[in-house]
Amino acid sequence: MSDLEGWRAKAAAWCESMVPQFGKAARKGLSVEEDLALGRRYQKAKFDAGFAGINWPTDLGGQGLGHIEKIAFEAEEMKHGFPNVYFGISLGMPVPVLMQFGTDREFVKERVLKALQGEEIWCQLFSEPSGGTDLAGLRTRAETDGNGWKINGQKVWTSWAQYSDYGVIVVRTDPTVAKHKGLTYFWVDMKAPGVTVRPIKLAGGDSHVNEVFFDDVRIGDDHRMSPVGGGFAVAMATLMIERYVATDSAGFGPHLDLFVDLAKEVRLNGRPAIEDGRIRQQIARNHAMRAGLDSINVRARLMMQAGMTPGPEGSLNKLVAVRSRQKLSELAIDLQGAAGFAFDAHASPKDDWASSWINAPTGRIAGGSDETLLNTIAERILGLPQDHRPDKGVPFNEIPA
Amino acid sequence: MTILHDEGQQAIATESRRVLEARMRKEDLLPLLEVEGRYHEGFWATAKEQGWTALALPESHGGLALGLVELGLIAHQAGRTLSGAPFLTSGFGAAKAIELYGSDAQKARWLPGLASGDSIGAIAFASGADPLPAQPGVRFADGRLDGIAPAVSGGVAADIAILLAAGADGPVLAVAELAGVERRTVASFDNSRCLADLVFAGTPAERLETGGAARDAALHILALQAVVTAHEQTGGAEALMEIARDYAVTRKAFGQPIGAFQSIKHRIAELYGLVELARANCIHAAAREGAEDFITAAAAARLSATEAYDSAARDCVQIHGGIGVTWEIGLHLHMRRARSLALEQGSTLFWEDVLVDRLAGEGA
Ligand SMILES: Cc1cc2nc3c(=O)[nH]c(=O)nc-3n(C[C@H](O)[C@H](O)[C@H](O)COP(=O)(O)OP(=O)(O)OC[C@H]3O[C@@H](n4cnc5c(N)ncnc54)[C@H](O)[C@@H]3O)c2cc1C
Repeated sequence: MSDLEGWRAKAAAWCESMVPQFGKAARKGLSVEEDLALGRRYQKAKFDAGFAGINWPTDLGGQGLGHIEKIAFEAEEMKHGFPNVYFGISLGMPVPVLMQFGTDREFVKERVLKALQGEEIWCQLFSEPSGGTDLAGLRTRAETDGNGWKINGQKVWTSWAQYSDYGVIVVRTDPTVAKHKGLTYFWVDMKAPGVTVRPIKLAGGDSHVNEVFFDDVRIGDDHRMSPVGGGFAVAMATLMIERYVATDSAGFGPHLDLFVDLAKEVRLNGRPAIEDGRIRQQIARNHAMRAGLDSINVRARLMMQAGMTPGPEGSLNKLVAVRSRQKLSELAIDLQGAAGFAFDAHASPKDDWASSWINAPTGRIAGGSDETLLNTIAERILGLPQDHRPDKGVPFNEIPA
Repeated sequence: MTILHDEGQQAIATESRRVLEARMRKEDLLPLLEVEGRYHEGFWATAKEQGWTALALPESHGGLALGLVELGLIAHQAGRTLSGAPFLTSGFGAAKAIELYGSDAQKARWLPGLASGDSIGAIAFASGADPLPAQPGVRFADGRLDGIAPAVSGGVAADIAILLAAGADGPVLAVAELAGVERRTVASFDNSRCLADLVFAGTPAERLETGGAARDAALHILALQAVVTAHEQTGGAEALMEIARDYAVTRKAFGQPIGAFQSIKHRIAELYGLVELARANCIHAAAREGAEDFITAAAAARLSATEAYDSAARDCVQIHGGIGVTWEIGLHLHMRRARSLALEQGSTLFWEDVLVDRLAGEGA
């Protein structure tokens, strides 16, 4: 057994052993607060077992291993539906950025250790009411205030802000220069005076995203994580950190096997639906699509293992998988006929078709909308020209609202 | 019948739109998603007061003697504003079953109540995943029904139901009063559809048709309702297309309206195509009531309207970005309705089969 296989086996065994305490059955019927508390215990258990911060430096509480071990662990972990969603963004982007760009190393170490053990949660305060895709068009401003800064404005769609202790934020420090040149990157204490968090209820019924208001929130200059006016580059770096994550060719919806099972159970025209050409075609096409994505992911993993940089085709996963999941979920509802109306707001999108369907649109918007991903593929990978951008090079305060 | 609407028909469309736009608010519809078995009472009161329940029924029994064209026009407007109850369609289906297949006594007994809207009608044909089962799950014997009819739209509130049941000599089309019948409310993603499993236990019922004729009759009723529903779906899709257009011209990114990005602009233009094809198929189908090719026309309307509404729901939400998936903006009301209407009267899979059987000359 190679080292990696050994690692994978160890990860699989540990995950398996956590199921009674933290698996789907243990989470059933819990309120969000109870589930979060369980999640914190799970994160602590993961830390104690040596599976937290797998590819992070050991002096910051990590395991000092590679992306490949991290992905191998995540692939095992994903099978069990553990309560880890609360830490996904925190440990995925803000905390790694803090490790990379935080200046007070003592502070950084303390925060990273608490975050890794599930004691503290960080959120990412980028999107605003005026725009999420056009990140550089943001309006929240920070003005100098004594030796520090004073923040005013509003963020929105901030995942888990209501449970967060800290956040990373991009704000405008100079409105007189072109939009992406006047931004600066800070961290903020979410409990500081002047920070107000208001949850937003989503279409599926849950409220994990928030509006966050900043009213004269004062922070020291030691909160700054980029040069003044250099915030856009750190924001881009934040979005790039998550390149190496375990992907899910099911688009975070149900596995195709569940569709096959359904098709075997349901009868269409007096015969099992699995014999119906339309259903067979969808199963075949979805399989081919998912198999392709899986192969891209495996190849990326092997390339990393061999010290190579994976190709850009990995960026297809979310675009292709979530879109297909949306339509397959609709078909699963159609297929069930009268039983297809049933809905349980607490069901999991990983194993319930109605839940998968109603939550699919968030997956096509959050973390880069379909259109943004397509633009990135077209412009960055294929070298196609950008759309006309009338605001290019124009000082921010001269762009018509 | 011509597919050009006359002045009277245009007036019905305009007037129903005016009334519904004044009375239907998403703020009143959102809470209905979170309770089971409640409908928008204002919508149903409006339908009764405006005479929409009577519209397509015979004058001899309290109806207005108009037809599917007029009811379709109203259903289209109801779809635009997210009708708050399923009874307009299900009551129409039940009344048509009695009008077409009932005796004079049955008509006299039930049609006036359905025409005034004082009685709510429901259609309970489905069993398992099949909207028109060869072997219905409910049994009919000696004038009594036994068994469960699953997820009947309007079942929570209905006073009478038309059923497809299994009898000794093949399927039976039957009518039953629901006064003593147990209803198990179905928790659904679109709760104002008032879905319930109807549990029949020795429930008295009267036979309308038997054998092949019962099945043909049930398909005909399903097709009539499918045409009404297709209008409702088209109305919903049209509203979403307009909402998407309005948002795309006002929302800005990168210094311009997002509608300037061809991916957004073309997506909305594609919706226009889907909506107009659905509308054209609806108008055609409504005008073919009673004609030889009615089932074919109904299936075409149903297929294009389902595609239009599902696509419009997906795309309109997508074009809105984050705001599109919030509870409060209510686009999910349409998203949910698109799916519940896609299931009611039989899914796309069912109507594809009905249509192709006919095109291939294998239809009943
Ligand atoms: C569940 C969820 C969780 C989220 N969590 C966070 C978080 O934790 N932190 C955070 O900062 N943000 C978060 N977001 C915000 C997310 O990043 C934004 O919603 C996203 O960037 C889109 O921005 P927007 O909603 O303002 O839409 P807009 O940017 O207004 O876009 C509207 C539409 O226009 C399209 N569009 C925009 N520009 C172009 C273009 N150039 N070409 C073609 N089409 C274009 C978009 O694709 C979209 O369809 C979250 C969102 C969701 C739904």
